[in-house]
Amino acid sequence: MARDDTTAPTDRSDDAAVAARAREVRGTTNEPIWRRDFPFTSAGEEAVTRREFGRYLVLASGAFAVGTLGIAAWAQARGGLPETDAAAILPAEDLEPGQSHLFRFPGPDDPAILVALEDSFVAYSQKCTHLGCVVYPEGDELECPCHEGYFDIRTGEVLRGPPERPLEQIAVDVRDDGMVWALGYLEAGE
Amino acid sequence: MSSSRPDSSSLIVYVIVLLSLQMFLLVVALDGLLAREPRLAWVSAALSLLLFAGSWMFHRWMRR
Repeated sequence: MARDDTTAPTDRSDDAAVAARAREVRGTTNEPIWRRDFPFTSAGEEAVTRREFGRYLVLASGAFAVGTLGIAAWAQARGGLPETDAAAILPAEDLEPGQSHLFRFPGPDDPAILVALEDSFVAYSQKCTHLGCVVYPEGDELECPCHEGYFDIRTGEVLRGPPERPLEQIAVDVRDDGMVWALGYLEAGE
Repeated sequence: MSSSRPDSSSLIVYVIVLLSLQMFLLVVALDGLLAREPRLAWVSAALSLLLFAGSWMFHRWMRR
């Protein structure tokens, strides 16, 4: 008990000293001390409670859910590969093995590339399956220069880089008139 | 007065985690769109709705 009697006044005096120091630092206002070191405020920041912040988060969550639903509906409306009419590309004799030719198929907004191999022709959509940049032939590969994606020029399969899916392949045929024709998009694995 | 409900700050963290997962699902749905695979997009949308429901329930659970 004697020990308590000797220490208690000391603790009280320490508390008083700390309080006095806090008042000195704080000044006459009741603002917290950190406000002096970081005196920046934004309009209405005091008005946002945690619950309101949570409400904004839930609203954002709803927006994401609606957005994802919209994308799903868009994907459904877009459907599978488009039905297209066959289109002549160019005379087969105009393209030597190893050369390529850019064309539009099936519409004017759909860039495609025709490549002459040693014994056949292959054609692909020129849109990279990563983020839609156009691909160009680079030796035995098709290169997407945006993010260094590479595809096999014979099959369209991904060799390396960020793309996850092969290029969309277009069926081609050399007809009796000597023209190379684009017949339509092939289903995956077809 | 004590309460068995957790503090709202921790619940906000849960909601932020669910929101991050929804961002991922949005990207998956976009991939389904580009890959012409509507089923993938629909599954993503269903999961995103589920996470939204979870976020909403967390929000209801928060203390004032």
